Amino acid sequence: MNCVLEGNAVKAFGKAIHSLSRIGDELCLDPMSKGLALRSVNSAHSAYACFLFSPMFFQKYNLGPEQGSETVQCKLLMKSILPLFRCLATIERSVERCQIQINTPNDRVKIQFFCRHGITKTHDLCFEESEALQAVFASHLCPNVLKAPARVLGEMVMHFPVSQEEITLSITPLRVSLRNYFEGGNDHMKIMYTEMSLHPDEFDYFQIGVESDITFCLKELRGLLSFAESHCLPVSVHFGAAGKPVCFSVEDMILEATVVLSTLIDSESRGPSQPAETLTVAPRTPTRCADVVPESPGETDCRKAAVPAGMELVASSQGSPIADSALLLLLHHLSEPHYQERANSTPASSICSLLFRAKSPESGEGLPVLACCSDEEEAEEEDVMMMRSPTL
Amino acid sequence: MPLSTQSQGDAEQYVLVASLDNARNLSNILKAITFKDHAIFSATPNGLKVTVEDSKCLQANAFIQSEIFQEYTIKEDSVGFQVNLTVLLDCLNIFGGSTAPGVSTALRMCYKGYGYPLTLFLEEGGVVTVCKINTQEPEELVDFEFCSTNVTNKVILQSESLKEAFSELDMTSEVLQITMSPSQPYFRLSTFGNSGNAHYDYPKDSDMMELFKCTKTQTNRYKMSLLKPSTKALALSCKVSVRTDSRGFLSLQYLVRNDDGQICFVEYYCCPDEEVAED
Repeated sequence: MNCVLEGNAVKAFGKAIHSLSRIGDELCLDPMSKGLALRSVNSAHSAYACFLFSPMFFQKYNLGPEQGSETVQCKLLMKSILPLFRCLATIERSVERCQIQINTPNDRVKIQFFCRHGITKTHDLCFEESEALQAVFASHLCPNVLKAPARVLGEMVMHFPVSQEEITLSITPLRVSLRNYFEGGNDHMKIMYTEMSLHPDEFDYFQIGVESDITFCLKELRGLLSFAESHCLPVSVHFGAAGKPVCFSVEDMILEATVVLSTLIDSESRGPSQPAETLTVAPRTPTRCADVVPESPGETDCRKAAVPAGMELVASSQGSPIADSALLLLLHHLSEPHYQERANSTPASSICSLLFRAKSPESGEGLPVLACCSDEEEAEEEDVMMMRSPTL
Repeated sequence: MPLSTQSQGDAEQYVLVASLDNARNLSNILKAITFKDHAIFSATPNGLKVTVEDSKCLQANAFIQSEIFQEYTIKEDSVGFQVNLTVLLDCLNIFGGSTAPGVSTALRMCYKGYGYPLTLFLEEGGVVTVCKINTQEPEELVDFEFCSTNVTNKVILQSESLKEAFSELDMTSEVLQITMSPSQPYFRLSTFGNSGNAHYDYPKDSDMMELFKCTKTQTNRYKMSLLKPSTKALALSCKVSVRTDSRGFLSLQYLVRNDDGQICFVEYYCCPDEEVAED
């Protein structure tokens, strides 16, 4: 792939990378005929972001002959590419043009900045080929939809401290509110509660299908809001009941950006006066999965046994163990919601992992998928029920 | 000025007396070469030269000509001593290093000769501080034998363009490779880091390029750790000259303007890391 960006587009591209860096440690470049997609997933698979730049965004956009129907992505370390775009003010001031070339034979991405005064900066970055990973979120199936200028959402979240991890968005026919979320415990007396509400009229578009409170990670969203504000784009929010993912998206003629975040399965009841202690707590044992999931193939048991109770399988910023959350999803389907809580767990331990499946059907990942590839949407329902015991 | 009311008798004993109305004209330039604790002062009737060396591979010199000083008296042809540079800088900034306009620390630096400490009289707002810093026997300085007749390639660039490059350099690279050539890429800085390679190219007709005199294509590598301190000098400077000689030794000369607009020079010499086959 060979593409050229000019002037302000370079800054927008850099800003997209900044937003994606809030999500994960790796950036995937996926050149497609409909444009260049930049994607990132966090290690817990509970946040996904994608920026798609249409060919019109570029001064020149050519896919090489090796592209085509193959969906090979280039995976780069965020810490390799972010420094190139770190100082947006410098880019704005001195970069006239940027050329990006992907050379599959030698596994290098060449990013060249043509700057003022004839100076050229060339960066040859190593990449890894990875399976195309894409989450297609069925936003048209979401009962609740909000749309507002980025500024409105930005002003809402600005009241929460930068350290605030999660927030709860509540929707009723009369209002939309945001409040900070905290994990239950004895500290509830020391926490500052912030809640703000907006009347439905404040939104460009307001649709409520089901009243809900969804709790998601604010930090991962801030990048997109900042991007949207700098481009003065409205932000659309698609969501449903607690536990289903929430999708924030912006788009204009030449680009679209999406952030999909998982939400807590069963958030605390409304009002800060009722902290999370009221939620049911059950002891965690590895055998639990055997109880709930009758058909567990032998290999799963072995895998499960290898993971002692309380251990996280995947390190992530939110510490959410994938095994747990996959089970929780199944539990949610099978019985009334109840989940396991460790003494020192974070709220994210009950976050459903936002799951993807690689486009290639041979993938061994058996996690049930919330947001899967569009071709397999119909088969999803069946697959979820069939894959009772996730093979990890 | 209180410092000038010192008795003449005192002045007789010193082999070197140098005074500045604004001590920052000395301390700022010394900060550009402070990467080691010790510095060697060599004073001649032309002015003051302060040298810092690292592992015999890197040498930095700061030159402050006698004209910069409000008073500069030297009784011998050459006066040399070694002091702790960090301590000296702390003393020069003893009044807090305020950058408010109109407020400056006045300095009178005096040295009686071999075996005597370096005495600093510092005054700000009527308060006088006297500092006596122990001196040591100056260590033998490396002579890099860098002379203009051996210079194969020379460019003079406006510092602004290099500042950006140096601030973005991939620090995971162990070396900085400098290519100078009469043909493409003319002047190139390259790094080889963990994530990949980076090249910064400056064409010979760039308006940042004030002088371009390259006779032969040369590529040399220098340890990044040795060159890193030079970014302090680069930050202060408005122009920099980059020269390499036939052995691949590097000379970086920085033109620094002090608070009063006077010109001082800082120079870095660095020996190459390894022989790279020349094209």
